[in-house]
Amino acid sequence: MKRTLLSLIILLLLIPISVHAQEEDPWAEVFLADGTLNPDLIDLGVTTNYPEWMSMDLPFGQTIDLEANYHRFQTASGNIVVLPSASTLFFMAMNPQESGLSSAYGGLGNGYGSLISFLGVVSGDNLDWGRIQADHPEYTQPDQFWNAVLNGQQEVWTYFSGWSFITTLLQISWDDAALRSFYLLYMNGVLDCASLPGGCSGIVTPPPATRQCPDATVRLQQPVLLIQKTAPNNPLVVGQDPENRRGADILARVTIPPVIFTWYEPIYEERDICRAVRAGETADCNTGLGSSVKDGVTDTILVFKECRTHVERLPDPVASLQARATLDGASQDWITSKLGQTHYEAYIHQANFILIPGLGSWTGGCDGSGVCTATGQALRVPFADPGTFLLRLDLITKGTFFRGIQITQPRQVGMDGALQVYVTLPALVP
Amino acid sequence: MKEIHVSKRNIFVAAILFVVLVMGLLVLQNWPIRIKKDLIPTSAEDSLASIAAVSAMDKFFQVDYQEGKEAWLMRICEVSTPAGCEIFTAGADHLWEKYLDARTVVSVHSEALEKLADSGDEQIWKISITLSSALPGSNKTQDTAHIVLLNTESGWKFDRFLLEAEINAILTRLKPSGMENK
Repeated sequence: MKRTLLSLIILLLLIPISVHAQEEDPWAEVFLADGTLNPDLIDLGVTTNYPEWMSMDLPFGQTIDLEANYHRFQTASGNIVVLPSASTLFFMAMNPQESGLSSAYGGLGNGYGSLISFLGVVSGDNLDWGRIQADHPEYTQPDQFWNAVLNGQQEVWTYFSGWSFITTLLQISWDDAALRSFYLLYMNGVLDCASLPGGCSGIVTPPPATRQCPDATVRLQQPVLLIQKTAPNNPLVVGQDPENRRGADILARVTIPPVIFTWYEPIYEERDICRAVRAGETADCNTGLGSSVKDGVTDTILVFKECRTHVERLPDPVASLQARATLDGASQDWITSKLGQTHYEAYIHQANFILIPGLGSWTGGCDGSGVCTATGQALRVPFADPGTFLLRLDLITKGTFFRGIQITQPRQVGMDGALQVYVTLPALVP
Repeated sequence: MKEIHVSKRNIFVAAILFVVLVMGLLVLQNWPIRIKKDLIPTSAEDSLASIAAVSAMDKFFQVDYQEGKEAWLMRICEVSTPAGCEIFTAGADHLWEKYLDARTVVSVHSEALEKLADSGDEQIWKISITLSSALPGSNKTQDTAHIVLLNTESGWKFDRFLLEAEINAILTRLKPSGMENK
């Protein structure tokens, strides 16, 4: 209940802020005048990584890597728009310098009101406001405190009085990738993509255009991902299904539309002219520069005529495809607590399966129209525990190239699915 | 009415027994038993939380590369909150790769040292961990963990390890006043 409430509040808070187009305002190419996202933006898709500022240090020098997750767009002028997931945004706010939050356009004192509201909601009762006021009477409002935190002037961890909200926030972010709508803008992000949140994944780097013709354009289309159970209709835990240890079949399929690369070729035509005569040449025409006799030499030059448009459908093949299944936390809890109470020695047999590559494999390729596909299957996966298995599909593409020049960087995308595994429990009927 | 006869000898024996009992109780109450104060949970809830904390660390740091990541995670998830289980499962790939590469087999002994914070349904515990041999990337066999325990419907469960910034903040808070400037 608490978790659902938190999700709803975050979702409400993260409704995209209306940014009105203004002249010379870089946000103007991100949002239309009505506040909606400009459809001309290049959707770079979702990318994930494991930054140091989101790692959890354990004893004995061990670390657990927490996943940062960003949805990014590229503007026509090379700026990058980043939408972090809710948990990523929280950790960015806690580490504004290291995460690159403070290098986003606009400065932290300007337009970050909704980020401050977000932090207030996420931390909720877990922030000891009474102690903050006792230690720092200069903060009369929570907003002032959060503003100082975001500017790197105020340490925040001392003032948390609850801790599990961070784990809940991470879980919410993973379970619901839609919980993101806070926009960060990085000016000229294309030129220094390595320092961007999410790095260079999928960044479009078109070659320099000729002077006579427009800049080349790139249009990415989001890959279509699918991961699902294909058989049987209602899988039973292995051992209970009629066919002995039938398990379930999992299918993963990816279709990546081509990257549309439009470039313009300058077309020249030869034109006869009469140019000034050089030493050793014999004049054979009149340049028309005021002389009444022949004062020039006939020659030809190349004159720009037009720009010829070329539309290339560049394939972005799959470089790697991975799929896994994980018994969700609630099901594990149910098996060990509720089921364990009625069925002696109920335990979790196997909560995690590496489906592809592992129990199954994948193949892929691209057709003549630039559409790339990849399909993987894991057959008869021996799910032995009842409950919901979270399916996860991750893929990395190779990026696109045109005449040896890289046009788009490799993309990392993923999607979640779910699979229900059933168990038949004997019941005493009175 | 029934008359009960009690001899003087029996009264004397009963009096001696009473005196011995009272003296024994007084001695027990005031005996200078040397037990580290922090190791004694102050309530039943603390006791349950500390047991859960020790159990979680034992399961987390007991590593045998031969049993596989799934078995290791399953043990951890049994004593963890659902959210904690999800974090460990999602973030443990690189950790397990190291264990696998180094063919790690480690047994562990943990001990609850101190409850550092308590917000009712959540507690922070400092746990001492001793390993039979060092884990990959480390030469230590003894270290301390600072972990969050959450009181759930199925009892106290391991939620996560504290972040370094959180540990520093909590330890700073616990310093006696006046220590900050020293």
